[in-house]
Parts: sequence; structure tokens; C-alpha cells
Amino acid sequence: MRSFTSALSSQAGKIQGLTEEERAHLLPLLRSAQWVEVVGRDAIYKEFIFKDFNQAFGFMSRVALQAEKMDHHPEWFNVYNKVQITLSTHDCGGLSQRDITLATFIDQASLM
Amino acid sequence: SDGTKPSRLTALQEQLIWALLESGLTRDVLVQAMGELERSRASAGAEKPDRGDGESSEEGEMDFPPPIFRDLDKLPPEEASKLRAEVDQLLQEDPWHVAKMVKSYMQQHNLPQREVVESTGLNQSHLSQHLNKGTPMKNQKRAALYSWYVKKQCEISQQFTNAKHGLATVEEQGEEIKKGRRNRFKWGPASLQILFHAYERQKNPSKEEREGLVEECNRAECLQRGVSPSQLAGLGSNLVTEVRVYNWFANRRKEEAFRHKLALDTPFTNQPASSSNPTLPPSPEHGVKYSQQISCDTASSARGSGGERVGRLVVSPVQLEPSHTLLEGHNLKPERVSSGGPLPPVSTLTSLHSLSASSASSQSLIMASVPSVMSLGESSLLIGLASTQPQTVPVINNMGGGFTTLQPISFQQQLHGSPQQPISQHLQSHMAASPFMATMAQLPCHMYKSDSPQYHSSSLLSQTMVITDSSSLGTLTSLAAVRQILTADPEEQSDPPLQEDSLHLQPHTPVPASSESLELYPASQSTESHPSHLLSPSPPDISSYIPTQMVSTAQ
Repeated sequence: MRSFTSALSSQAGKIQGLTEEERAHLLPLLRSAQWVEVVGRDAIYKEFIFKDFNQAFGFMSRVALQAEKMDHHPEWFNVYNKVQITLSTHDCGGLSQRDITLATFIDQASLM
Repeated sequence: SDGTKPSRLTALQEQLIWALLESGLTRDVLVQAMGELERSRASAGAEKPDRGDGESSEEGEMDFPPPIFRDLDKLPPEEASKLRAEVDQLLQEDPWHVAKMVKSYMQQHNLPQREVVESTGLNQSHLSQHLNKGTPMKNQKRAALYSWYVKKQCEISQQFTNAKHGLATVEEQGEEIKKGRRNRFKWGPASLQILFHAYERQKNPSKEEREGLVEECNRAECLQRGVSPSQLAGLGSNLVTEVRVYNWFANRRKEEAFRHKLALDTPFTNQPASSSNPTLPPSPEHGVKYSQQISCDTASSARGSGGERVGRLVVSPVQLEPSHTLLEGHNLKPERVSSGGPLPPVSTLTSLHSLSASSASSQSLIMASVPSVMSLGESSLLIGLASTQPQTVPVINNMGGGFTTLQPISFQQQLHGSPQQPISQHLQSHMAASPFMATMAQLPCHMYKSDSPQYHSSSLLSQTMVITDSSSLGTLTSLAAVRQILTADPEEQSDPPLQEDSLHLQPHTPVPASSESLELYPASQSTESHPSHLLSPSPPDISSYIPTQMVSTAQ
């Protein structure tokens, strides 16, 4: 796992990445929710499969609305009933609390 | 936001609304649809008299006001309101009381917790704890639970009714259309008793004998549910069939063989190799450990097990909650002859688990799904106990689930608190004085048809697969990658991070039927909208796969 040092971030008002402690606590939870750590970057990934396109896109709509609300957007790809999502925070070059929050929301939205 | 004023619409909301309108949706239809949606949601929410009732709200920003759980869609007719009224009533009652009712209903009909979880969205651990231990549950969630309960009762009685009238039970009745599969079959205690008795008589019954057992078991199961033995349809997914009986016997035989093998492997000198010897006391040293074990466990009471049981050890220490032993009429433990010396028969886990009526809610014993569902309460207790155990016994097959895997057996043990059955026989010959050792020794129970409902096939892959080399991943990945390419828009750039590393095991439902697209997903269990595992490293580089795959996938 790439080590991430948020301490290096020097810009004021910037989103802070997760601390090591937070990662140690949160990543296992995410992993158990089937989020995977992406190789080569500090991001998490998960794929969702729905019954059909409509459900997939409905899900995406929900996520989109939330993303707008949070001002934090996912990287995602959709083909028919499949949605692949990668979460990472550009501002801090890695995972931040927003990713965690959004991931949680995404999981819930996928159950609807 | 309420969105009552147009100005309060967010930009995206506006976009979406316009999109809807432009798609042909008229304002009227939209408003009407909204009304219906709101009604169904309101009814789901309305069943909670007062929201924050004594339970602190943990809902962070993540909790969505509209209930996330898939509340049962109440059918329009008055039936729906009748059901809702019932739910309301239940919500007024003492939660623990109702929990007991629901739990025993689930036991009676051998319903898996999984089903409840899937249709209510409740957390399985929370559900289990609520039902078994009375852990508080918020009204909104209880409403979901009760709604499922009430609806399920209808479904089941319908199933039985249809059976009575010779009607073919409509598939959709029992389950949401969304759900692609039926519940996993589970042996009921009544059937198990019959089977074990038969096993003792004859380990390898003929087809006729098996068919006889099928009849006998189904009859017993119906009786347990209080219905006429001829209404088989009501048993639903728990209907006993000849194949299941056949498998059961095959598994028992394998178990025994394995047990025997274990006995040869790790002989424990202190314990005389005996077949059935329920009263065999543990050897001195073991006994010492054992008693220490017992004294450690404050929860253990003389669980009606009687003296010999205590000697077994396995039972008491693991005593969980009183409620766990609430078998209420389902106390059936077949006698098991433990052969194979000091080692606890592997069967214990499964057989015990199968015996456990009350495990209906715990679902913890399916060997195939070893690390599966363990209620928190049990696990914490077990874990606590485990830590006091010195490792004197080699763990034969540490499934890596650690404590969780131990649970079933121990749990089971104490569940069948009824003293009559010397189930403990199995355990008496266990390896160390510790129940954990005993249970761990039983872990290598690979005999079972591993139809683990808990596992998504892809979950078998450890997350680290992503990071490891691709050589271990076979065709599937490439195929998956190919499909991605084939069906994806060629112009897409950013894409499908499918790479050699990605292994796609998840069964797949609809695939756009293009001439090029190919169903690459194994048709095994299908989980509706459950996210699958797709390991995918970042940079997409699929091109290398195309050539080979194209050939094989060309249609």
C-alpha cells in the first residue's frame, strides 16, 4: 500500500487526506464492503452490477445528486447494467474522508 | 430540500427534471408518480410511532431520510392496510416479545436470516442480535422487520393454501422478482433426527429408502409448521428432496471417513479411542484446562446438560445468551456416534449445526460458508474464551476464519441445551480440553457441498489479488476484459480498467445482446444488485487481450 503523508500537504484550506490511523481503521471496513484498493494510486474501487440499465442509471443518478451535494465526484464508468466506480480526492492526491463518506453513500444507494 | 419552490432546485436536479420532462414524462404523470412513491415511502415510515425512541441516533450524514432498506412494497389492496395495521400493533408490543415470536417463526419454517436481511436491508448482525439477544432496534427498522414478518406469514400461508388446492405456487409469491434465487435449503431439526436415526441403521441407503426418508422428513417438517403433511409446497425452499437426502448421507459418510483419518493423524493418548462413549471424562490434564475454561466463563450455567455434558466441555463455556437456547419445541438432537478416537468428529459442526433449530436465526453452521454469519454476541464471547486457551492442539485446518469458524460448533452445542441428547459425544473425544480446539479441529469440514450463500464467488478472491500478478488469473479475466471491450463504446477512452488483474467471477445477469457480446459470467448464483468484486487496477490496457479472446468469443 502506498504510504500517504497528508502532512506534506501545505496548502491552506485543502482537503486533508486520511491519516494513517484513519486508514488503518477505515480501509478494512471498506474492504469488507468489497471496495478494493487500486494499484498504482491511492484510490478505492468497486464495481456494481444491477439488474438492468435502468437500475444502474437510477443508482448513478442518486450518486450524482449526492456527489453534487458533497461537491465530490466519483470517477466512474457505466456499461449497461454495470457501474465501475473509483474514488479518490484530487486535491490531496489520495483518499480523504469525502471518499469514505461517498463510498458509504454509494453502498447504500446500490441497495435501493 | 423540499423542492417546493423551483428556485430551490439544485442545478443537477433541474437537469434531471428536464431530462424527465423531455423524455416524454408529463407533469401530471410525474406528479402522480411522485405521489405514489411518497405514499409507499410514507407507509413504510409511518409504522414507527415515534422515531427516536430511546435509541440514540447514529445516523451521520450518510443516513438517508428515506429509508434505505427495501421496505416491502405493500400491495395496494386493503390487505396492505391490514398488514400495516398488524405491523403497527406489533410495534406497540414489547420488542423483545415480538422478537421472540419472529425468531420462533423463522425457526419453525427454517427461514434463513439472509432472506430477512435482503428484503429489509437490516444489518444481519444487528438483526441476529435483536432476535436472539434483544439488542434494541429502532422503530423504523423494527417496522421493516415486522413488515417482512407479516408479509412472510401471508406468503407462507398462501403457499400452503395453494398446495392444498393443488395450485402451482407462483414463484413470485414467495420472493421478490428481483431475487434471482431461492433461499438455500436448510435441514430442519425434525428431518435431521430422522436422518440420523436412519444413518445409524444404514449408512448407504438405497434409492427407495431415500425416497422413504424424503416422505418422512417432509411429513415431519409440515407437522412442525402446523400444517397438513400433504401441503408440501408450503415448505418452499426447505422442501426435502431425494437429492438432498442423498447428499446428506454422502456428506455424513465423508465426514466419518475424514474423522477417522484425523484420528489417525493426531492421536491423543489420553483419550481412549472409542466410538460411542458419552460418559468418557476428559483426561486429567485436559480436564484441568477444561475446568479452568469453565470457570472462566461466567456465562456458563449448568445448561441443563447434565454431568456428562459438562465433561464435554464444549457446551457450557460457550454458552451465550439464554435466548440462544430457546428451542421451543425444536429440541431434536440425533444421537451421534463419535468414532475416530480423540478427535472430535468433523461432523459435529455440521450435524450440530443442522440440528440446531434455533440456529435458524444464527445461520452460523453452514460449513461451506464457514466464516459466515455469526452474531456478534456469540463471536465476542467465543473470542474472549479463545484467548484463554493455550494452543495445545495443532489446528488441523485453520480456515483462517479464526474465531468465527469456531462459533458454530460451540454455539450449537449450547443451543441444544437439552440434556437428553448426548450430542456431546462428538465433542468428548475432542482434542484438547478447550472447546475451541475442539471446534477448530472440526473445521476441516470440506465435505459439504460448498454452496456458500455467504460468499459471492468473487469474494473468494482476497483483495490482494489486485496487486498480485496476473498469472494466476485465467481466461475469465481476459474474457471479462474482452466483453468489456466488445460491448463498450469504442470511443470510450477512459475505461474499463479491466486488466489482466481483474478477475470476474460474479455471475452476470443481463448482457446487452449484441452480436458480439458474450455472456462471460458464470451462471452460478446470481445476486441482484449486489456489487461484485471486480479487481481493477488503474490503467486500462486491454488491447493485449483482444486478439486471443476475440477468437474464442466470437459469435
